[in-house]
Amino acid sequence: MNRSLCLFWLAMASLMASTALAWERGVVHRDHIEVELVAATTSVQPGGTVEIGLRLVPDPHWHTYWKNPGDSGLPTRLNWTLPEGASVSDIAWPYPEALAMGHLINYGYEGEHLLPVTLTVGEDVAPGDELTLRVAADWLVCEEVCIPGDAQLELVLPVNSDRPSPHPDHADLFEQSRQQHPRTVAWPAGFSIEGGQLSVQIEPDVDLPIDTLEVFVAADNFVEHAEFASVTGSNGQVLIAQALSAFRSGSPDTLPIVLVDREGERAWRLTAEPGALVSDGSLLAAGSQTGWLLAIVLALVGGILLNLMPCVFPVLSIKAMSLVSGAGHDQRGHGLAYTAGVLLSFGLLAGVLLALRAGGEAIGWGFQLQSPWFVGILVYVLFALGLSLSGLFDFGTRLMGMGQGLTEKSGLSGSFFTGILACVVASPCTAPFMGTALGVAVLMPWPMAMAVFLALGFGLALPMLALSFSPALARRMPRPGPWMDTFKQAMAFPLYLAVVWLLWVLARQTDANGMAAVLTGMVVLAFALWLGARRDKGPSLAIARHVTVGLSLVLAVAALGTANRFQHEPGEGPASAWWENYSPERLSELRADPEQAVLVNMTADWCVTCLVNERVALNTDAVRQAMADNGVVYVKGDWTRRDPAITEYLAEYGRNGVPLYVLYPHNGDQARVLPQVLTPSLVVQALERL
Amino acid sequence: MKFKALGITAAAAAFALASSVSAAPEIGQPAPDFSVVDTAGQVHSLSDFAGQTVVLEWTNHDCPFVIKHYGPGNMQEQQRMARNEHDAVWLTVISSRPGTQGHVSPEQADELTRSRNAFPTAVLLDESGDMGRAYDARVTPHMYIIDGDGILRYMGGIDSNPSANPADIPGATQYVVAALTAMANGQDIDPAVTRPYGCTVKY
Repeated sequence: MNRSLCLFWLAMASLMASTALAWERGVVHRDHIEVELVAATTSVQPGGTVEIGLRLVPDPHWHTYWKNPGDSGLPTRLNWTLPEGASVSDIAWPYPEALAMGHLINYGYEGEHLLPVTLTVGEDVAPGDELTLRVAADWLVCEEVCIPGDAQLELVLPVNSDRPSPHPDHADLFEQSRQQHPRTVAWPAGFSIEGGQLSVQIEPDVDLPIDTLEVFVAADNFVEHAEFASVTGSNGQVLIAQALSAFRSGSPDTLPIVLVDREGERAWRLTAEPGALVSDGSLLAAGSQTGWLLAIVLALVGGILLNLMPCVFPVLSIKAMSLVSGAGHDQRGHGLAYTAGVLLSFGLLAGVLLALRAGGEAIGWGFQLQSPWFVGILVYVLFALGLSLSGLFDFGTRLMGMGQGLTEKSGLSGSFFTGILACVVASPCTAPFMGTALGVAVLMPWPMAMAVFLALGFGLALPMLALSFSPALARRMPRPGPWMDTFKQAMAFPLYLAVVWLLWVLARQTDANGMAAVLTGMVVLAFALWLGARRDKGPSLAIARHVTVGLSLVLAVAALGTANRFQHEPGEGPASAWWENYSPERLSELRADPEQAVLVNMTADWCVTCLVNERVALNTDAVRQAMADNGVVYVKGDWTRRDPAITEYLAEYGRNGVPLYVLYPHNGDQARVLPQVLTPSLVVQALERL
Repeated sequence: MKFKALGITAAAAAFALASSVSAAPEIGQPAPDFSVVDTAGQVHSLSDFAGQTVVLEWTNHDCPFVIKHYGPGNMQEQQRMARNEHDAVWLTVISSRPGTQGHVSPEQADELTRSRNAFPTAVLLDESGDMGRAYDARVTPHMYIIDGDGILRYMGGIDSNPSANPADIPGATQYVVAALTAMANGQDIDPAVTRPYGCTVKY
């Protein structure tokens, strides 16, 4: 109690002191620390600059704080009162040390240290003048307990036209502080946040000591300081990963980072831009204008190419024919309605994706395909479209704007619907095709990301739009004729192929029973469509027919629901000799065996980063060889579907998303978490270091 | 279109279910339950307070950041406001391990409440640190607000100015006051997560 009162009065006393403005010179003693305002030289020239600074000497084992104090603590603050015409820079913070405080980490300084600033003196001071420099300093000095302190310090510096000579007592301290001041560098650097983890990719122009490099993120309340950053290097790049703070709110626009090579007495300060990490070795900084414009152009081109995809081309080519054949009608209106449909759908889908993303979900483009419902519906839609092209019924053709639809009043909405349909059928092709570029977009600020998605949609709509606006272009289209019927029927086959692909995806999500259910559903659907297109011979027959069609459609959807119930039990994915499926039991078994090291890869089919990492790094011969050579068992956990065991495992490592790569050494040592972006040499290096 | 929305909804639901379990408590999720003895020897659990807003305050009477808020009466004022105006339960938690700085006996804790004119519902003595770790309480003061349904609504600092100077209190946003007011008005709490500043909890 006495102590708390005592500290309270200390705080109050220092508060009063700050209003009393008693400026002290020389060494000033406070609880557990001494401080002094010092200069590097004994004088200053008119218009010249001089380094001055706050010298702090905490008691042994006590420390003060860096600009990012870490999990607790406060940075030292300097508030200057200067003669007219003089100015000071910000503090040139020397790099800190990571100091353990129980289970937390603080960034700060033990022992004598200096917080220097550069003072610029006005031109109008004359030799013989004396400059009175004043600073109100406050700090927190801690051991187990913390004591806030402050002081009003004053330094008188003579103005002299001679070249200033080094201060006999303090010049060394300034020199030492200069060496500990990180060099500001403009190395390309990008950071991204995924699954509760910060990933930074840097292209340094010097060789960095990967094994001993210390990383200090300078933004406060952002990373989990007690979870030290993992640093890996490959192909001239340095990859840094660190867990994010549970108490972080938001994300900084740019991320200042200090890298320290303590042995080599070198340090660098760089600023990472928000940006995606692309595994092919190039950095596409999403925050930068060029990265964004590049992504837009890529998306636009990708969108145009999408028109040629087997799920899209049949639908759109026929729409294009009908557009041309309907010359003289409101072609432009149709083109615009179609474009609006496409853009709206893409905007909607991107909006959902970005909203989920903002909510912290670790998802990528293609997430829709994670749902067997969505895949199943897509199978039905494409199959139905295929059947209509084959001539079983003409429902789909009307949707595609064939026949009378164009000239009818509802034609515009028909075109709008075609646009939506184009987005729906394009969706399974977008995921594998545009995955990386859209993965980049998802990491951008949302207006930029939305622009990229819309560019993709616009690209998809562009050929049709151009056709509807340019009669010259339309004239180059083949003339309508009986051949169109043949063409239409031929176009059914790419659609059937797309259906096969989607069924394959579905097969990976369900099992043979589920497949049987969906295939039955397809037959029922075909029956319903066939029956629906029949002509009625009488009113009672019509009712029976409509009821049957309705029932069949319900049955088709029910079949899909049935298929859904046959989703794989987690961990039943197809394993190969090359990897094992994850189970907590198997992992602890492997870890208990001193002969075995283990690499755990938590992945999901809809996680683009995961797939890219596997293709580019994990599945390469070099990595396979390194695993064999080093006795590493490769264990893969598939989070494509919900799996509580994997969710739990991810949570153990403070993640709620994939990818997660964890390497367990032979001897049962601490596991190492690999960065979220892998390169072959990075993995090989990590494996060889076991 | 409808199908597509269905697919998206299904996918979104799958994700919402897939990502929850994590070490630190999460806003919008059920707050960790606890069972901790107070200075009178009575055991308190979160479930005891169902239907009432609960404010948790981690404290350490010697910590200058705690003193910053108890000295001028800011913390006591917030305790009164929370309990009188919002019918909230205010639990002051001490997680200092026995033998470490900040650990107090029940009598000392009661004496601190008396002498500082504090107004908590109870002072919990979390000697094992289990409750503190369950909430990932890192510093003193570290604040949490749990609504009547047991959902965590706010976690972080007491205010927006990480300093040890009481003179900084008037200019700072008092996050707990703002959060309780927002809850009373049915508004969203913004910010719901802030930087907790203070002295390390001595587990």
